[in-house]
Amino acid sequence: MSSLGTLGNTTLLLALAFSLWGLIGGAVGAIRRDRRLITSARMAASATFLAMTATVAVMEIALLTDDFSVSYVAETSRTTSPIWVKIVTLWAALEGSLLLWGWLLSGYWAVLSWVAPNTPLKPWALTVMAGVQTFFVGVPAIAARPFNSVFPVPLEGPGPNPLLQNHWMMAVHPFLMYLGFVGLTVPFAYAIAALITNRPGTEWMLNTRRWTLIGWGFLTAAIITGGWWSYEVLGWGGYWAWDPVENVSFLPWLTATAFIHSIQVQERRRMLKAWNLLLIILTFTLTLLGTFLTRSGVVSSVHSFGDGPVGPIFLGFFIVAFGLSMGLLAWRWDHVRDRSDLDHPVSREGSFLAGNVLFLAMTFAVLLGTIFPLFVEAATGDKVTVGAPFFDQATLPLWMGILFLMGIGPLLPWRRAPDQTLRGNLLWMALGAVVFGVASFAFGMRAIYPLLTMTLVGWNLASLVLLVTGVVVPRLKIGQRGVAQVLRQYAFENKRRFGSMVVHFGVLVMAVGIMGSSAYRVDEQIRIDIGSSAPFQGYILHARDKFMEQTPGRISAGAVVDLERDGQIVTTLRPRTNVFAGQEMTVPTPSVMYRPNYDIYLNVASTVGPEQDFVVLRAVMSPLITWIWIGGLIAALGTAYALVPGVQGARATRDLKRGLEASQT
Amino acid sequence: MIRRLVIVASVTAALGGLFLFGLLRGSPDRDIESARLNRPVPAFELPLYERYHASFGPTLDVGSYLGEVPMIVNFWASWCGPCYEEAPDLQAAWEDFGGQVLFVGVQTQDRGRQQEGRDFIDQFNLGFANVIDDDSSLSIEYGLFGVPETFFIRADGTLAYKHAGPVTYELLEEQVLALTGGTP
Repeated sequence: MSSLGTLGNTTLLLALAFSLWGLIGGAVGAIRRDRRLITSARMAASATFLAMTATVAVMEIALLTDDFSVSYVAETSRTTSPIWVKIVTLWAALEGSLLLWGWLLSGYWAVLSWVAPNTPLKPWALTVMAGVQTFFVGVPAIAARPFNSVFPVPLEGPGPNPLLQNHWMMAVHPFLMYLGFVGLTVPFAYAIAALITNRPGTEWMLNTRRWTLIGWGFLTAAIITGGWWSYEVLGWGGYWAWDPVENVSFLPWLTATAFIHSIQVQERRRMLKAWNLLLIILTFTLTLLGTFLTRSGVVSSVHSFGDGPVGPIFLGFFIVAFGLSMGLLAWRWDHVRDRSDLDHPVSREGSFLAGNVLFLAMTFAVLLGTIFPLFVEAATGDKVTVGAPFFDQATLPLWMGILFLMGIGPLLPWRRAPDQTLRGNLLWMALGAVVFGVASFAFGMRAIYPLLTMTLVGWNLASLVLLVTGVVVPRLKIGQRGVAQVLRQYAFENKRRFGSMVVHFGVLVMAVGIMGSSAYRVDEQIRIDIGSSAPFQGYILHARDKFMEQTPGRISAGAVVDLERDGQIVTTLRPRTNVFAGQEMTVPTPSVMYRPNYDIYLNVASTVGPEQDFVVLRAVMSPLITWIWIGGLIAALGTAYALVPGVQGARATRDLKRGLEASQT
Repeated sequence: MIRRLVIVASVTAALGGLFLFGLLRGSPDRDIESARLNRPVPAFELPLYERYHASFGPTLDVGSYLGEVPMIVNFWASWCGPCYEEAPDLQAAWEDFGGQVLFVGVQTQDRGRQQEGRDFIDQFNLGFANVIDDDSSLSIEYGLFGVPETFFIRADGTLAYKHAGPVTYELLEEQVLALTGGTP
């Protein structure tokens, strides 16, 4: 009998009991306004967190000690794996991922129960958190059980999915993804609390602004690291293929991005109440829908990780969550409808609203493309696939619109119609756009979208410069301080605003990277005899040797390729394929030369056998691709900066008051 | 309010119904079947490698065989590793069944690499006819995902089966039996 398994089952059931108490006790307490019950239900959050922490710890111990009497360990782990692989095997398959999800959620719930201000919304918000928590503990406790005991105990297991153990990025990407999904549960819980208590004002949003930004930031980072992982592991030299698995992580990001912009309109102008509630409900339910679609195998995907028994369960939860929250919204509709209209379409709020429409249109297009095959099959029985061309055509114009608005929006004043300064600003931005557009054209770019992207990057850079000079110049006039000092103080006093500028700059850097790597990528298949060479994009690829390495748990076979340019060896790449012990699948392991202007990416396109005296390489040159990762890092830093606590809170309250007064006059 | 709740309920139900259908239908086919299955395959006439000129002339007109005899059309490229794996099996199967089924090799997605193609054919001493699809247009007409792919065509000119990836002697034998109606 497995002692760790018993222990894990016990702590998991305890967590389930605590979260159930948080749900039932919380709901009854909130309805009866019973202080003692509410307090007791609040304690359930910390208790659940402790129990889930213990559960995850037990699983980690089982993984690290190769306790194959625990079913999850027996199905996904292997003695020969390195320690870091064993640790991250926790989220290498469905059951463990659910444990991780439940654990992170309980952490957020517990922190929320400690730090959330005591408002009438809090008991209900914690109750909604408890409801979601009950689901995410209930599924591993009852349906997808990781702690089943295995008898007879096997001596060795198959190890995790080779695609996952092939790169350290896999240790990071799912973790970030869950932190993002879970973080966005908090604003959802508050939104539902606002609907239940019929207080659909601004309170729920202000209480969760930081949580929203945290969730959004993690989701953004998760999507970018996912792309990088795909680039480093999947072997086709790309990072985004509009695969259903990718799309469903993108959908909640789109609605969340719309949300973090439109809540500012509500903050300032008391408008878009219903819209914001709708956006956060959509964001949360789309995370559930995404989990359902990828875990059930309903839409076919090139990398669907593990079908399990949870498809119908996730579907049920999605339907319940979607139906209940949308029903609540419909029920409270008369209270959340906006009473005021836009004063002027060309204003800050007007541009935010337009941006929202574009983000929502993109959400719809991507969702449609993802489930369209299912639609067609249900209607006609025919099997179709929707490929990258559809998604590119549908989203590229929308992206251009978003980039356009991103430049102009922050320069527009709230509420009133634009004045003379705007005209001057527009001239500068147009100049920036023209300079970048013409320079790109002179550089040899001819295709329409790349040119448009570069033009809009110029437009946005000018806008950022104007934003910065707009705050720095007046301050220079009133004091004797230097530019750096003024800028530093501005950044310190306006963390959220300055952070958003940094994020927008990161987006521009990414836009350039995406433009270059998708429009000007060169992809060739080259056969080289060992010992001879072949040309590729100004380089000589010299296949110096082939190699085969065996380490415990892994066999690698590949080629040693020198990259030569102008008679000099620039670097040596070792693309190879890995075969992991216990797994049959061969995993391509590309080798990449990272450079700021372009990457050279080599992947062995077929296995390198012992008798084989040649190697077939897939050689990809991706211009500017590194800037996607750098831009992502900049955006992450900007988000983190906006989250640093400071005088922001006081300012926001002041702004809020001002907005309140403005809406009353 | 009732009307709004009804709208929400029906949207929820519609979504639920669609996904329930997805669940009940079972897992989708990951291998997409050839759209040409059980339908006539396109005819083609392409230049042959020199060593086959004596038997067929400078080009091979597949149209004159389609609908008369069963055929196996194998697509390959000189840079394709698995093609080297399967070539000996193809040659062996041709030696055994070449009298019943017409074997045709098509070098495709390999523009301008006739010398490499010649080396490939010489390396395995391929006896069956090999043609050059230099601009890869045939591979598009046949809907290739990659190389190697092998098409098994019945005597009436319709596609019986398509295999993606390297073929083995066993697979070829089994398919030849199916095409010719059983007797080896």
